[in-house]
Amino acid sequence: MKGNEVIAEAAIQAGCRFYAGYPITPQNEIPEYMSWRMPEAGGVFIQAESELAAINMVYGAAAAGTRAMTSSSSPGISLKTEGISYLAGAELPAVIVNVQRGGPGLGNISGSQADYFQAVKGGGHGDYKLLVYAPFNLQEMWDLTMLAFDKADEYRNPVMILTDGVIGQMIEPLYPTPYVRPELPEKDWILDGCKNREPRMIKSLYMGEGELEMRNLILQRKYEKMREKEVKFVGYHVEDSEVLVVAFGIAARIALSSVRRLRRDGFKVGLFRPVTLFPFPEKELSMLAEENRRFITIEMNAGQMVEDVKLAINGKSKVLFYGRPGGSIFTPEEVQEKIQQSLNYQPHLAKTNLIL
Amino acid sequence: MAPVRTLPVLTLKELSKKEDLFTHGHRLCSGCGAPIVVKMVLFASDHPVVACSSTGCLEVSSCISQHTAWKIPWIHSAFENAAATVAGVESMYRVLKKKHRINKEIKFVTFCGDGGTYDIGLQSLSGAMERGHDMLYICYDNGAYMNTGIQRSSATPLGADTTTSPVGSVIPGKTQQRKNLTRIMAAHDIPYVAQASISHWLDLMKKVRKALEIKGPKFMNILSPCNRGWRSRTDDAILLSRLAVDTCYWPLYEVENGAIRITFKPKEKKPIVDFLKPQGRFKHLFRPENEWIIKKFQEDVDREWERLQKEALP
Repeated sequence: MKGNEVIAEAAIQAGCRFYAGYPITPQNEIPEYMSWRMPEAGGVFIQAESELAAINMVYGAAAAGTRAMTSSSSPGISLKTEGISYLAGAELPAVIVNVQRGGPGLGNISGSQADYFQAVKGGGHGDYKLLVYAPFNLQEMWDLTMLAFDKADEYRNPVMILTDGVIGQMIEPLYPTPYVRPELPEKDWILDGCKNREPRMIKSLYMGEGELEMRNLILQRKYEKMREKEVKFVGYHVEDSEVLVVAFGIAARIALSSVRRLRRDGFKVGLFRPVTLFPFPEKELSMLAEENRRFITIEMNAGQMVEDVKLAINGKSKVLFYGRPGGSIFTPEEVQEKIQQSLNYQPHLAKTNLIL
Repeated sequence: MAPVRTLPVLTLKELSKKEDLFTHGHRLCSGCGAPIVVKMVLFASDHPVVACSSTGCLEVSSCISQHTAWKIPWIHSAFENAAATVAGVESMYRVLKKKHRINKEIKFVTFCGDGGTYDIGLQSLSGAMERGHDMLYICYDNGAYMNTGIQRSSATPLGADTTTSPVGSVIPGKTQQRKNLTRIMAAHDIPYVAQASISHWLDLMKKVRKALEIKGPKFMNILSPCNRGWRSRTDDAILLSRLAVDTCYWPLYEVENGAIRITFKPKEKKPIVDFLKPQGRFKHLFRPENEWIIKKFQEDVDREWERLQKEALP
């Protein structure tokens, strides 16, 4: 199974019964897989006439109480952002998969991580947040997709799986652990016909005096709760590290190879990998910040997560960056070299603290 | 309305002297219909042409990295907005012409696939037609999203096997019939709408020449076989185009100021099976349990052909 198909099957296993999509490379395996698998599972597959239609179909299906999903790649996610903002505003649970490709514009079709800002800082209009998961292998594609549906229902919030063209097209073994449904609050807000009960309403329009502000504060409390409870990260050789690499998704996977090689050669190097990008593991990173440890953020973009890393470190350690934008992929050797450079990095010799 | 200029008759000899404005070296598959459409349209024009494409096979394959196959000014922006993009370019041209900064007569043409026309681009197409921009919108219709790997579109015919309408033991390919976009465009009451096929090159080029002489928005739908998606032989593009016309699956007609004129009537209308048989995407229709689809296909084609003949000028 390809990474994209893993997401599709995990969604089915997690009880997703509505999928709307639209063709865009490199995520086509998801709609293609869903086109036959979803009817087989008794659900609905729709190929929409545009990304806008697909995300709004998800809005409708989510309002009706179905576990709903859509997927796309970077330019398509840009088109979907209006709908995502509405989902967040109306507090509707949905899973959105972004199999990132190089940008901006039409860009290219190779894997990239340049949609970090879009996913984590909002993307669309208004003060909203998505819960963002960044899988780094197919096992996580499977596990996090299932978790995404649960968390979406728990928080009544759209959840994004932020992956990329490389992992989406990758084939590797995984354990297809069966889905176990956790205790979840009953969906007592869905629109399923109001015979014998009070009418319900789902909307994101609040015109009354101060009404929207109240609404926003409720949303913010929800995001605060996510910050407290949902942070996920994985550390490798963190404790005694002198240089700590911070990377997510495919970049972390490449960096992990480099870190292991450097460890073998006796360098004190570790890797810190955020699994949730929102909420970002800022407390955990900040606790690791100390004078004789330096951080290097490795990303497949021109420097996006590095801003969050710097905020977390808050000047307590040096934060360096290495990235390649535009869908270019670095090799473990290349990353290894950059990490080694950062070991000998002299702040007073360099003009900026970015190495690119 | 301005009087229509009489154009010199097209002859092969005349055409052979013209410059090829869509050059070799593009990365479209061998046997693709799209470059034939582009070449014929550009050959037909007597005026300089500025072209626009939406995202798709033609766009991707004609501008790989630093190279371009276009010898004319050509612009691409996104998938859903070719009509809007060319509307912007044409508006700018009108302003510059008014200010006498440009004095040339320039024609604006789009070349878009069916995904970018029938589906995601329909909104901007409809808007541009209603606003009345002086442009010719050409859709090369290959009946699916071929660029992303043969997903169904609303131009995909009934029963076709695509990657998102896959044939299985329960679902027999696409379960909906195709959208009749040419009729939708005619309903915009624009000066000129036509349907053409690369197998009837003279008819196609005459229609392009006529369209380019008319001021205002024009639309042409051109069938463009895709051997990858249609699962046919690479040298069958012209044959399949001709069969589409001869079976009346793709009737050749034009709608000029509301008046419909059929421009080619096959001497003998062939059964739709002749068009379906050479294409692998319809292979499953020939199983006994799917006979009803072929029957329905034939009925749909017959009904449309009848309606067209009834509505057309004698």
